Amino acid sequence: MANQDTTRRETLSMTGLRSVSRRDVLKGMAVVAGAAAVPTILAACSSGATTAPASVAPPASVVPPASVAPASAAGVTGTVTVGSNHSDASEVKGMTAINAAFIAANPGVTVTMNPVDHNTFQNQIGAYLQGTPEDDFTWFSGYRMRFFASKGLTTAIDDVWAKVSSNFTGAFATAVTADDGKVYGIPVDYYPWAVFYRKSVFSDKGYTIPATWADFKTLCTKMQTDGLIPITFGDKDGWPAMGTFDILDLRLNGYDFHTQLLTGKQKWTDAKVTTVFQKWAEIMPFHDKTYAGLTWEKACDTLIQKKSGMFMFGLFLTGEFSSTGTPADLADLDFFPFPAMGTQYDAENALDAPIDIWMVSAKSPTLQADLDAAKAYMEFWSKGSTQLLMFQNQPGFIPTANDADSSSYDPLTKKAVQIVSQAKKITQFLDRDSRPDFAGANGMQAFLQKFLANPTQDTTALQAEIQAYWEALPPATV
Amino acid sequence: MTATSMAGGSSRRRIRRGRVVLHAFLITMSLIWIFPLAWCFFTAMRPLSDTILHGYFSWPTTLNFQNFIDGWTNANLGYYYLNTLIVAVPAVIITLILASLVAFALTRVRSRINLFLLMMFTAGNLLPPQVIIVPLYHFYLAIPIPKPLSSNGLLYDQYIGIILIHIVFQVGFCIFVLSNYMRTLPKELNEAALVDGASIFRTYRSVILPLCTPALAALGTLEFTFIYNDFFWALLLIKTGSKRPITSALNNLQGQFFTNYNILAAAALMVAIPTIIVYIALQRQFIRGLTLGSTKG
Repeated sequence: MANQDTTRRETLSMTGLRSVSRRDVLKGMAVVAGAAAVPTILAACSSGATTAPASVAPPASVVPPASVAPASAAGVTGTVTVGSNHSDASEVKGMTAINAAFIAANPGVTVTMNPVDHNTFQNQIGAYLQGTPEDDFTWFSGYRMRFFASKGLTTAIDDVWAKVSSNFTGAFATAVTADDGKVYGIPVDYYPWAVFYRKSVFSDKGYTIPATWADFKTLCTKMQTDGLIPITFGDKDGWPAMGTFDILDLRLNGYDFHTQLLTGKQKWTDAKVTTVFQKWAEIMPFHDKTYAGLTWEKACDTLIQKKSGMFMFGLFLTGEFSSTGTPADLADLDFFPFPAMGTQYDAENALDAPIDIWMVSAKSPTLQADLDAAKAYMEFWSKGSTQLLMFQNQPGFIPTANDADSSSYDPLTKKAVQIVSQAKKITQFLDRDSRPDFAGANGMQAFLQKFLANPTQDTTALQAEIQAYWEALPPATV
Repeated sequence: MTATSMAGGSSRRRIRRGRVVLHAFLITMSLIWIFPLAWCFFTAMRPLSDTILHGYFSWPTTLNFQNFIDGWTNANLGYYYLNTLIVAVPAVIITLILASLVAFALTRVRSRINLFLLMMFTAGNLLPPQVIIVPLYHFYLAIPIPKPLSSNGLLYDQYIGIILIHIVFQVGFCIFVLSNYMRTLPKELNEAALVDGASIFRTYRSVILPLCTPALAALGTLEFTFIYNDFFWALLLIKTGSKRPITSALNNLQGQFFTNYNILAAAALMVAIPTIIVYIALQRQFIRGLTLGSTKG
C-alpha cells in the first residue's frame, strides 16, 4: 500500500499538477484566516451598530447617538423589530439615521433592524410573513398590499392613520386602503414613470416637447433622420415593457378599465386591449432594435451617450445618470408626461407612480409586547422629516408626506412632484397592480416579449392566450 | 536549426508536429474556458462611469481595483464568508462522519438489510429538495430547539437548521461513494483487525477510516463546494438578512432597480475564490479520488 501511495504521489508531481503546492495554500489560508480573525474579534467586542461597516450590518440594536435630545413629548418605550428591504449601502445609512432619530424622539425605545436585500425580501415575502416576521416591515402598495391584508398576515392600522391622514393626499389614502376598507400601510415614497430626455439634445436639435400622439411620432421620425435612436428601450428583464403597456392602456382606455383588467374583472380579449397593441406597434419601429438583449441600465446608457433621444422609464434612472462621474449629466436630464392620445381619458393625467409603504405584520412573535412601539414607528414614518432622511440617501424616491420640506429638492424632483399632483389617477405598475404569478416571467413578461418580437402581428391569438393564462391560474394563495 | 536536431530525423519532427497540434488545441480550449472569467475580471477593473460612457466593448480609460474594494465593503463580504463557514464546516464534517459510519456498517458488517439500507440512502438522492419545501417549512416552525443552539427556540431562521438540512441531503450521496470505496478494501484487513482483538469501532477508526482519506478528501471538496454554492435552503429557512450565506451577499449589491454591474463582477470573482482555494488545497486527494481504481498496481 505504502509503495503504491508514494508512486502515485510522484506521478502526480511529475505531471506538474501541483504547480501551486498544497502546503503553500494551506499556509496561506492560515495566515489569511488569522488576519481576518483579528478585526472580527475586535468588532465583536464593541457594539455592533457603531463599528459595523456602512453596508448591511448584522442586526444590532441601534444605540442612540451620544447627544440624545431631551424627550419633547411622552415617547413610547419597549422594543420594535423592523424588517427592511433597504439593503444598498446608502439606504442602510438612511435607515440608520431614521432609527437614531426615532430613538432620540422616544428615549428608552429599542429598534432592532433586519435588513434583507430587495430581491430576496420580495421572493421570500410569503414565507416571511407566515413565519416569524419582524413587527414592522417595508412593502409595496397596490395588489401586493391588499393580497397580504386579505390573508390576515398584516395588521390594520386605522388608529395610526386617523392621526396622520391629514399629512397625505387622497391618492395616497386610496393606495393604503385594502378591500375591507381598513388602512394597512403608511406610504413613504413614490417615483413616477415618464418620458425622459436630455435637455441639451433637445435644444441643440431644436426639438419641442410633444403634446399629442401625432407630435410624438413626428418627433420620433425627425430623430431618426438625425441619426438618433428615437426611443431607447431595454426589456431583457421583462418588466420594463410593462411601463409602456400601462401608460398606453391608461391613456386609451382609462384608469378603471386598466385596474379591472389587471384584476380579472375585464377580459384580455377585449377590443380595447387590441387598440393598445396597435398603438404600441405604431411606435415600435422607433425603439432600439436591440432591446431584447439590453438591461434598462444599458438602454439608459445610450441616452447618456446622446445616441438615443427619449426613454419611457421610472424616475429611478437617476441612479445610472449620477454614476457617470460628471454631475452635468444628471443636471441635463429632464422629462415630460406621456403625450395625450386624443381620448376622454387624457384628462385623467393618469400615470404609473409606484408607492412604497411600511406595514405592521400579524404573526410577529413579539408583536403583542411591541405593539405600541410598532405603531409609534409607523407614525414616525408618516412625518416628512423622517422621509427626507431617506430621500437624502435614496434620491429618485420622493417623500409622500405633505409636510416634507421640498426646498431641498432638485428641479427634476420638483417637476416629478408636480406631475404626480396633477394626476387624477395613479397606478402602481403592472406587476404591483396584479397577481405576482400573472405578472411574472412566465406570464405577462413573456406575453409582452412575444408581442414585441412581432408588433404588427394580429394579436387576437396572443390576447386569447393571455386570457387563458389568467383563467388557468389557481386561486391566489400565499 | 542545429545539426543535432536535424539528425533527429523525421520521427522526432513528427512527434513535434503532434505536440504542436496538441498544444494548439489545449491552448485554444483553455482560452475558451478562461475567456468569460477574464472578461469578468476586465469588467471588474473598470469604473462604472467608463462603461456607461463608452460601453462594455471598448478600450478602457482607467483600470483599477476600486470595484473590488467597494464590493468588499458594500456587500460586507468578510462577514458573509464567516456565515458560510459557520454552516459549511460543521455540515461537511458531520456529513462525512455519519456517512463513513453508515458506509462502514453497510460494507464491513454482514447483515440482511444492508442492500435495502443502501438503496434507501441512495434513493434519497433522487428526491428533489423542492418537493418537500412546504412541509419542511412548517416542521421548522414547529420543532423546538433549546436556547444555546437556537436564539428563537425554533429550527427556523437558525444556523443549526441549515446545517441539519444540508447534512440530511448530502449524507446519501456520501454513503453511496464511501460504501463503494470501502468495498474495494480487502476483507482481510477486517479479519486481521479481528484477530488482533480490535472492536468494531476500533476497526472503523484505526483501520478503515485512514485508508479512506482519498475518498474523504474528494468528498470533502465536493461537499464544501455544494454547500458553499447553496442558496436554496438559506432562502427558504432563514429570514434574517445577516444570517445569510456568502452567495446571497451578492444580492446586497443589486439595488431594487439600479445595479452597478462592475462592482457585482468584482464581488462575484471574490466570492468564487474560496472554492478554488479548497480545490487547490485538496487537489492531490481529489484527483486521487477521481482516479481510484483506475490502475492496478
